[in-house]
Amino acid sequence: MPASGSDPSGQSARDLTHHLEGLVPELETVLAATASDQELEAVRVQFLGRKGRLSGIMSELPKLAPDQRPLVGQIANQIKSRLQALVDQRLSRLKQDKELKVLTYFDPSLPGLTAWQGSLHPITLVTEEICAAFGSLGFELVEGPELETDFHNFEALNLPPDHPARDMQDTFYITENTLLRTHTSPLQVRTMLRKRPPLAAIAPGKVYRRDSDLTHTPMFHQIEGFLVDTDVSMTDLRGTLTAFVHKIFEPKTVVRFRPSFFPFTEPSAEVDISCMLCGGSGQSAGAPCRVCKQTGWLEILGCGMIDPAVFTAVGYDAELYTGFAFGLGVERVAMLKYGIGDLRMFFENDVRFVSQFA
Amino acid sequence: MYLSLKWLREFTPYDGSVERLAERLTMLGLEVEEITRPFVHLQNIVVGRVVETRQHPGADRLSLCRVDAGQGELLPIVCGAPNVAPDQFVAVALPGTALPDGKRITRAKIRGESSRGMICSEVELGLGEENDGIMVLDGPLVPGQDMLTVMDLDDWVLNISITPNRGDCLSMVGLAREVAVEFNLPMTLPDTRVIQDGPSCADALSITIDDPDLCPLYQAGIIRGIAVAPSPPWLRHRLLTIGQRPINNVVDVTNYILMEWGQPLHAFDRGLLSGNSIRVARAREEQSLVTLDGRTRRLLPADLLIWDAEKPVALAGVMGGANSEVTQTTTDILLECAVFNPISIRKTSRRLSLTSEASFRFERGVDQPGSRQAMNRALALIRQTAGGTVMQGIAAHEPHPWQPPRLVFRPARAKKILGVDLQPEFCRQKLAALGCAVDVQDAQAWRVQPPGFRPDLEREADLIEEVGRCHGLDRIPATLPRTARSLDWLHSLAPDTAFRKTVKHWARGIGLTEAINYSFVSSQDLALMGLDRIPAIGLRNPLSEDQNVLRPMLAPGLLQSVRHNMTQGNTTLRLFETSVIFQPDPDSETGALEPSRLGLALTGNRHPEGWPWPMEFVDFADIKGCIDHLLRHLHLPHAAYAPLDEHPICLPCAGITLGGEMAGWLGRVKSEIADHCHVRRDLFLAELDLTLVQRWHAQSRLEFKALPKFPPVRRDMTLIAPPDLALCKILEAIQAEAVDLLQEILLIDRFVPLDKPEARLTLRLTYRHQDRSLTNEEVDKTHQKLSQRLASLLPVRFS
Repeated sequence: MPASGSDPSGQSARDLTHHLEGLVPELETVLAATASDQELEAVRVQFLGRKGRLSGIMSELPKLAPDQRPLVGQIANQIKSRLQALVDQRLSRLKQDKELKVLTYFDPSLPGLTAWQGSLHPITLVTEEICAAFGSLGFELVEGPELETDFHNFEALNLPPDHPARDMQDTFYITENTLLRTHTSPLQVRTMLRKRPPLAAIAPGKVYRRDSDLTHTPMFHQIEGFLVDTDVSMTDLRGTLTAFVHKIFEPKTVVRFRPSFFPFTEPSAEVDISCMLCGGSGQSAGAPCRVCKQTGWLEILGCGMIDPAVFTAVGYDAELYTGFAFGLGVERVAMLKYGIGDLRMFFENDVRFVSQFA
Repeated sequence: MYLSLKWLREFTPYDGSVERLAERLTMLGLEVEEITRPFVHLQNIVVGRVVETRQHPGADRLSLCRVDAGQGELLPIVCGAPNVAPDQFVAVALPGTALPDGKRITRAKIRGESSRGMICSEVELGLGEENDGIMVLDGPLVPGQDMLTVMDLDDWVLNISITPNRGDCLSMVGLAREVAVEFNLPMTLPDTRVIQDGPSCADALSITIDDPDLCPLYQAGIIRGIAVAPSPPWLRHRLLTIGQRPINNVVDVTNYILMEWGQPLHAFDRGLLSGNSIRVARAREEQSLVTLDGRTRRLLPADLLIWDAEKPVALAGVMGGANSEVTQTTTDILLECAVFNPISIRKTSRRLSLTSEASFRFERGVDQPGSRQAMNRALALIRQTAGGTVMQGIAAHEPHPWQPPRLVFRPARAKKILGVDLQPEFCRQKLAALGCAVDVQDAQAWRVQPPGFRPDLEREADLIEEVGRCHGLDRIPATLPRTARSLDWLHSLAPDTAFRKTVKHWARGIGLTEAINYSFVSSQDLALMGLDRIPAIGLRNPLSEDQNVLRPMLAPGLLQSVRHNMTQGNTTLRLFETSVIFQPDPDSETGALEPSRLGLALTGNRHPEGWPWPMEFVDFADIKGCIDHLLRHLHLPHAAYAPLDEHPICLPCAGITLGGEMAGWLGRVKSEIADHCHVRRDLFLAELDLTLVQRWHAQSRLEFKALPKFPPVRRDMTLIAPPDLALCKILEAIQAEAVDLLQEILLIDRFVPLDKPEARLTLRLTYRHQDRSLTNEEVDKTHQKLSQRLASLLPVRFS
């Protein structure tokens, strides 16, 4: 029992009221010294607990004259509320102090628990970007085997055996009649054999040529695109490829069509784009441009109107249908787009290289 | 193909700049790759007149010359050539000049005598190969003039890449024709008249062709009494300009005509040919021939030969035989001008890996009706440079005279293909300029006969390409096509590619880095890793033994990537690769199946480096976590993992089964293989059959399950189990009890004491009733019962 310093036996209403009111400053003093939730709780129990100071004074209440009890009771309730309020106030103050204390050590510049950043290979990124560009033009994705028959890879594409144009694509053979596809063009044949026109498709994938030096790897990636309908002309080819170039490179890139030769297209063309480093001037920073070797142009793909012989090979009416096809090298586009200088880096899988394309 | 601007101008008067010519040729489909000025170095060489020579006092073989090189004073020059003499006009390289071989001339003292320049030989000037001392020029000349001008060698050369269809452009005449068409210039063919002053050639020689399909035309001319010698300078310089090595006046003329007309010729030493007949016939079994390059060629009956009365003397269309080569002592020659079947030439040339300027042109087709002109021009030039008498006429046999194809050209079809409406007169004029006979009587369908030098013009499409090319493909406007599609395009035609894309993006999301490896590996590496028992497909003509088999799994390629990274100091790796692999399959059209695989390789740090991540290294749980995460991502059921015995790469290794099907494996790479990859920490690999996973994924359906209404009650149990009791056995046992209320089991702790062969596993079981709240009592009862059952079913105790 806390000592009040007075004899409770001779209590008057005035004394009791006095005692009650005295609790308030006393609690204020004690509370000010509390520094933790535990200390605060002890103080609360001391004043407001079942056997606390307030209860102690209240237990004198029955000794008062009955007519005085309600008034003192009322005062006691008020005091109780005030005491409780003081405790609550202190509690929230302590809480606030605690939160402010956290600030002392708060350094938002410390590292977070960042999870691993994965990355896709630049070939994948460029392939997806190109496929999406053509997808938005209405081209569907098609796929086919990497190990091909001579028929799909060469013969149906107007490349009969012993044609000198076969020299353009030095081939890895598996058997006399099967080979690793040298281009994605067999997908033209496979798709046309499966479907009737109209068709517009794009076929990304690995291709293989028996060639390995600074600028050739025996495996690389191509994307083939083709469109066949009853009324397709070279203007459509030009429009489609111009749209593609403008989506993948800068919209101001100039596209140039230069006659060329592929056995499976007629007319055939190579597409050059204006050099992105020198802007087509051939000079960069006062020196010959190293990207386009001063020509101002960069060759990016081959294309043409599908040769009637290809239509005949797949059983299409070559008089009724016309169409165009194109094929582009993904590594080449990636090198130009990201400024990669060395082709061989693509297949070394050095994580310092690949992770740049996160 | 090298095009000399000077040579070109002999046939068509192009007077524009070389840059413009290059640009227009490129835009005609004759891509100019490089422009050079082969003799530009002669600009810095000057004409000098040797004023006096005297013996070098300190060296017998050296002369001290004083040379007037137009420098205002006589220059002392030490010269080692025996042929130097006063009053000669010579080529002088002054101090500071660089010679073609890179040598730089400086002022020097040679054996004590000052020398201020060098008197050059042809070799030193890049004008010849034989060193007969200094080059002596025909005078009189003005000392100090530059040699480029004096020798009239200021020429530009365009290196042009010729597409395989344009054999006609492998010649100056062919290229000149293109230039004439492009710039609307007249075209003048070289003079092909020849003075024939000998007896009749046809009487002196008979020609037989055994296989007319392989040789539609064979012509031969004979010149007697020639003198084989070095060619005159103009001829040598022409050949040097386009990168050909001069040999002698006969061979040089044949090369010159080949370059000018595109018609390969061959000169035989008539004196070395037996009899008076030439026969074109296939090789016999087991036959061999020593070709001009001195190599013995083993032949097959498919190879075509030129025979004299007794023996083979040339590999037809590819290379002459050494036994009839024109040499210094030759006096009579037989000049062959023939046309051979392109395919036959190509087969022989490919098989023997022997490509010559001749075979390259025959493969692409030569001008059969025009060949006689080339022959006449060659006879005239040989006569001019080597003398002799040309026999009257030629001996010839033409079993298959050339027939021009009769083509139709429809202006409307050209418009349909090209998308531009070309003026009929433009088309007619261009086709005619290209050498075609054009009959426009039927305005809708012209009749067109291409010339003999354009065997590539076989169909209407080829003619449309020609008018498009002349118009300029670059001038065709751009429009976007309508892409109409049918409903059957709705289903993806590239499901495998699409699925691999899903997996790739998942992998990037969980922090893996994509690798793309070559599809080929080395059979030796496979054998070293014990993978040679897996059936694999070999390449017939690999580039090297390192890449001679198509990979039957992804692991070898990933290990190579690991190895490369380790050598670069990248010790933490989180790699993935998705690709097809190759499996032999005799039933497949291509002889192979190409299922998709996912490969993973993890090693090094578990977390990114640095605070606040703890420093830990990856272990089996990390790679298994990746697989589980993927299956979850794809809405697939849990996979089962069980130890795999005797895996070639991993130890320990676990097999992954999905619905009872083997779906892949994962494990820690065996030390000897990891060491080979220079890996310092444990390396974990996994390979998953994506084709199988894709099939499962295609069957999976996402379905909403109502959220539970009543709270769960959780109870933990800690089992003490022997180390060889797999967790899955315990879980299976619990599941087999089919306790209705049991919703979920979670392993929350595993502790292996160091001193006892046991594992303490703490499982958290979640109980829930669908329709009401559970009481503690009923859960305790169920949990208790389950524990007792487990203790009786499995070798486990409870702590």
